[in-house]
Amino acid sequence: MERRDFLKSLVLSGLALKLGPSIYAQSVAPELTVVEGEDPAAITREAIKALGGMNKFIGRGDKVLIKPNIGWDRTPEMAACTNPQVVKALVEMAYQAGAKEVIVMDHTINQPKRCYVRSGIQEAAQQAGAKVLFADEQRLKRMNLKGEWLKEWEVFQDFVEVDKLINVPIAKVHSLSRVTLGMKNWLGAIGGSRNQLHQKIDQAMVDLAAFFKPALTVLDGYRILVRNGPQGGRTSDTKLMKTVVAGKDPVAVDAYGATFFDYQPSELLFLKLAQQRGLGKFELEKVRIEKRKI
Amino acid sequence: MKREKSKKYFWLQRLRIFSQILFFGLFIFLLLKTHYAGEDYLKPTVERFFHFDPLLALTTVIGSRLLYAALLLSLITILLTLFFGRFVCGWVCPLGSLHQFFSFLFKKARLLKPVKDDRQSLSPKYLILALVLVASLLTVNLAGYLDPLSFVYRSFAVFVSPVVKFIMSEGAGLAYHLGLKSTGQGISQALENLALNSTFQNALFIGLLFLGALLLNARKERFWCRYLCPTGALLSLFSRFNLLKLKIDPEKCINCHLCSIQCETNARPYPADEWRSSECVYCNTCAAICPTAAISFPLKLKAEKIKGVDLNRRKVLLTSLTALLVAPIFKITSHRQRSYPTLIRPPGALPEEQFLAKCVKCGECMKVCPTNGLQPALTEAGPEGVWTPVLVPRIGYCEYYCSLCSQVCPTGAIRELTIEEKTQVKIGTAWVNKNRCLPYALGKSCIVCEEHCPVSPKAIQLVRVETLTPEGKVASNLAPFIVQENCIGCGICENKCPVVDEPAIRVSSIGEHRSQKNRLILEIKEENEAKSIN
Repeated sequence: MERRDFLKSLVLSGLALKLGPSIYAQSVAPELTVVEGEDPAAITREAIKALGGMNKFIGRGDKVLIKPNIGWDRTPEMAACTNPQVVKALVEMAYQAGAKEVIVMDHTINQPKRCYVRSGIQEAAQQAGAKVLFADEQRLKRMNLKGEWLKEWEVFQDFVEVDKLINVPIAKVHSLSRVTLGMKNWLGAIGGSRNQLHQKIDQAMVDLAAFFKPALTVLDGYRILVRNGPQGGRTSDTKLMKTVVAGKDPVAVDAYGATFFDYQPSELLFLKLAQQRGLGKFELEKVRIEKRKI
Repeated sequence: MKREKSKKYFWLQRLRIFSQILFFGLFIFLLLKTHYAGEDYLKPTVERFFHFDPLLALTTVIGSRLLYAALLLSLITILLTLFFGRFVCGWVCPLGSLHQFFSFLFKKARLLKPVKDDRQSLSPKYLILALVLVASLLTVNLAGYLDPLSFVYRSFAVFVSPVVKFIMSEGAGLAYHLGLKSTGQGISQALENLALNSTFQNALFIGLLFLGALLLNARKERFWCRYLCPTGALLSLFSRFNLLKLKIDPEKCINCHLCSIQCETNARPYPADEWRSSECVYCNTCAAICPTAAISFPLKLKAEKIKGVDLNRRKVLLTSLTALLVAPIFKITSHRQRSYPTLIRPPGALPEEQFLAKCVKCGECMKVCPTNGLQPALTEAGPEGVWTPVLVPRIGYCEYYCSLCSQVCPTGAIRELTIEEKTQVKIGTAWVNKNRCLPYALGKSCIVCEEHCPVSPKAIQLVRVETLTPEGKVASNLAPFIVQENCIGCGICENKCPVVDEPAIRVSSIGEHRSQKNRLILEIKEENEAKSIN
């Protein structure tokens, strides 16, 4: 969306809200919702509700793939993988919105089974009826990413075959990109020598984010990792934020996530590159944010 | 005279085959169970088989001069063998069953034609046994190479299961290709759940030995059991008081030789007084095949003069002497003087000397290793250590929250560790090769090793380095610095290093906790503190 278009729609929707009856209220639904509370599942549900409900993002009969971070063989207390209750809530909501099938998968770093079990995500997602799959090398296909740096790369076909993608990262520190949030999470959707992407990590993240284009990004900030990223190892490496951030704009979600770590979004290269690429906006003051506490 | 085969022994033979299938099935089932299935601690699996093996018990106890309680179970085997002979070979042993099955196939295919009055000496296995036992006196453990359980487990772990995995995953690929998505997915997901490992150094050699052993059945029925098996030989020595003794009814016998020709182990049921009870595996073939039902195995308490094997004292003595001379050859290598850098043992491994005396090269640890990192050693551990487990981080690293190898080791060569204990064990130390490391050598950003380091605080810390490039620019990047005392040597850094052929960060065995000699940093400070406390 061009800035002018955006401003135009902002004005229009503002007018609509002022003049029109309550049915217009939906058009000015927040772009970003930030919900704080004790229960990870409840705040996730509230965040989606505040965005306008899951039906806004998932259509009836859609095949949905939910991509959490299940990269590491760590328990939820270590804040290395997405909170399983957040994932579970999203699976439930996707089904409630009429999804035909919900797949949960990630290309892990440690032994897949270990990550799936110790993170608690496999069990939680299966309880909600999701099909939890291990990344399958046989399903890798070299694809044209049309990236600025990444021209071609091996992509797990499961991610491109579905109708809708929901990205559910966890907020963590990272020595190279400084933080790992939603955009970096797409490294778990690809194969190949992922470790070489670090040579230009910010550009790689943006190229991947531009390729995958999730319908929705839900950032798990319930317990975040503030030291020893991206896998931690002690509970003292983590910090309880009890927050979930949700939005359609992947850049805005990540920008908000950066503030958990006291970074100004403008300090982070990948956010700038992403905005330049037109993936969204990192200037939070220009984003309609709704904060709730439950 | 009316000819009729014995119904009783026909059914006993069927029962024996059923027992073989049962135990082989159990063995394979437990073998497949030897993997991470979602629990950090495995229930006893296939190592139980090994605990009943008297040869492994004897050689590891003699060799290491250490007792290992679980191996006491082998006394049960010995006790049963004392009274019932080598029924274990005929009814239980998974490798024996496999050989039996292949002998059967080769007979059906007419590749194996048993001969009448086979006089070939059965003594080699006793000589092998003497060799193995004498070597273990000198702390050289050779039992694992020819022990049937070690042999069959190793062959399945290192050779058969990677082959199966390869075929299955190709099958999945093919299914996807043909548009059978759910079939492909089913296979792939099952493979991931089974956690079969896909590659082993030495697999070809170990596999060829296995196939060779099976092919030998085309020469003689149960070739291995007859001529090679040291465990069978040991059981033979114990089968001296067999309660069930072969009896041929001279009234019925028509001297057809069929029993002796078809005898699985050439125990010579015919002529009547030539039966060698210590070679008999109680397969009941002779009694079942006898056209006149002349053969039976009645209970007979009275001791009889039992025919032994054609084994003479001179041969045994010579072999033992050979072993006394040969065993030291294993010991005079340089590996004993200095630790080998690539000899990274699994966490919990005993000090090298004891480890070598106890390890039976069964490959259980390699089967259970979730990353495929544990590999059969070739030269890393010296001649004594061929096929002992060694961590090869380029292939797979040591998974942080995993102590499975220590749990499945049947002889305690790898001490059983809890997950908490395991995370504290140092098996080596990582070293950065600045000449290959991207930030140091090329001025490019990377930090992949730091990201993967599982300990907290990390053993790989980052320092900022400046690299002068040919354009006259200075590239400033974060680069790894190893904090030696935090490093546990798991090797994930080496495994994930983007410099894939010869990683820019490598783990060597130095600093491993199990060794007193292979140490890097003297912990004098702690000693001084301890003194001042005292």
